[in-house]
Amino acid sequence: MSAEHHHHSQIDQAAWAKSLILFGLGIYFAVLILTGNLANYINLRFAWLAYVGTALFFLLGLVNFYACLNPRRAHSHHQISWDNLLVVAFPLLLALLIPSRSLGVEAVSGGIGLSPVGVERASALTRNPLDRNILDWLRAFHRAPTPAAFNGQSVDVSGFVYREPSMGEDEFMVSRFTMSCCVADAYPIGMPVRSSAAGEFAPGAWVRVRGEVLADLFQGEFAPIVHADAIALIEEPAQPYLYP
Amino acid sequence: MRIDHPRAASPLPIKRVAFVLLAASILSALLYQSLHAGDDLYLTASVFATRFLGIFVEAVPFLLLGSLTSGLIETFVKTDDILRFLPRSRLGAALGGTLLGLVFPVCECGVVPVTRRLFRKGLPLSMGVAFLLAAPFMNPIVFASTYIAFGFGGVLIGRALLTVLVAVIVATVIGSFADPREVLKPTSAKAGEDCSHHHPPGGPGLRAKLFSAMQIGGDDFFEMGRFLILGSGLAALLQTFVPQDSLLALGSGPVMSVLFMQILAFLLSVCSTVDSFLALAFVNTFSTGAIISFLSFGPMVDIKSTLMFTGVFRRKIVLYLVLLPFVLNLLAGVLINVALGY
Repeated sequence: MSAEHHHHSQIDQAAWAKSLILFGLGIYFAVLILTGNLANYINLRFAWLAYVGTALFFLLGLVNFYACLNPRRAHSHHQISWDNLLVVAFPLLLALLIPSRSLGVEAVSGGIGLSPVGVERASALTRNPLDRNILDWLRAFHRAPTPAAFNGQSVDVSGFVYREPSMGEDEFMVSRFTMSCCVADAYPIGMPVRSSAAGEFAPGAWVRVRGEVLADLFQGEFAPIVHADAIALIEEPAQPYLYP
Repeated sequence: MRIDHPRAASPLPIKRVAFVLLAASILSALLYQSLHAGDDLYLTASVFATRFLGIFVEAVPFLLLGSLTSGLIETFVKTDDILRFLPRSRLGAALGGTLLGLVFPVCECGVVPVTRRLFRKGLPLSMGVAFLLAAPFMNPIVFASTYIAFGFGGVLIGRALLTVLVAVIVATVIGSFADPREVLKPTSAKAGEDCSHHHPPGGPGLRAKLFSAMQIGGDDFFEMGRFLILGSGLAALLQTFVPQDSLLALGSGPVMSVLFMQILAFLLSVCSTVDSFLALAFVNTFSTGAIISFLSFGPMVDIKSTLMFTGVFRRKIVLYLVLLPFVLNLLAGVLINVALGY
């Protein structure tokens, strides 16, 4: 009898822990949505997924909670082991321990792409040059009949500063990660920037770069190079990634 | 209440070892990276956290939906119902299995708990395996996302045909194992008795059934969730420490491009409901055969689903489930490239 009792109280503890983890994950999802940090992780085209997740976590949490309060109605056939609970709690621990951040310059491994990703939309070509973001510029540039097609056009883009040892004192790349669905497919792209003030900006800093585009060779291939008139430090945008 | 779950009686040391190994590899990888590149350990940990949580946040709603479906099947579908409609031949069962996704619309994260539940309800092996491999594509949501990304054309048709073909072949091979006990773990094999046997005759009301469906769904979420989390962790580790460019440089030519895209599909572990948008990003860089193989192979097998398979199948079978689709899709992708004259 006492052995059975012991077994049951263990099940109870695990059941309480289960409810706690389910509620915890529900709260985590809700916080991601409310703070806007969701944009650090997935393309907001799929934000509805997070709403579904929040609702289901709370639903399952409530059912489990109710079952804990009314053990007779519990239908659990088995106990979830403690190491299993720990693994499922791992994302919560990680989210609590490490503040939410978007992928930035530290996440660049193996250089920044100069080619556009995704299908090329004609809108990139016809759009007002000042409204083009980095992705639009690279797309337009790669569709243009000659590299010089955009020479002299005004440019106004923002991104983070990326620098390689091979770059000159007066150079950096203004870069953004593109993201189709979630950070799993994030890919960094960028435009080279030339300015006498370039050296003042630390890697990773978010900047708004204004100036004029001139096509030139950069690391062996033609690229739209921004000759900057003004570079200003800015806050990281609410949507840090570009959506192809 | 009966406690008849075998896992509770003997906690599997493999899982614990896997967990410890994962934790150790994360730590050592972080340490290595910090020493190697002179990078800030904290920044690397933060990149890992973002990559891991990104995959987790995107995938976990689908696992929740799959777990709930599994709970609903457990409480509302009787074993006899399933057995009555089964095709007799192995090939027929495999073909039927590929269409089962239209009845249970699940993606690659949701399909594993549903398949396990159906096995416990007595679904034949070949049918279950075909369902497992094909359902992540053969469902209305993924049809829609592929259509939105590529329109109606070669990619959509090629993806559908290749998915069915590979699923049927692999299902027929694995279905040829005479004894399901050689294939399935004890927790996935057909249970001697149904859930409903625990209840008094006459059966509980609808509310009680829904309640228990959600409880079973919650349990399934925990059992399958750990594999999703271990798999997301591995995928995030690889993405944090293997430079993308070193992979991209490898992927040219009719054979290598297919091989590369399949390895990428395996490593990235992106959900099948959104992988079309990801493939779109590679259309200009890679051959058509590579894109179709990516879209066919990715939903069948990737890091996280491989780990989830280990919760259902014996290890030898998991190897079949990974390698057979890999080789078959590779062959098909190369053939498509040759036919198109790459």
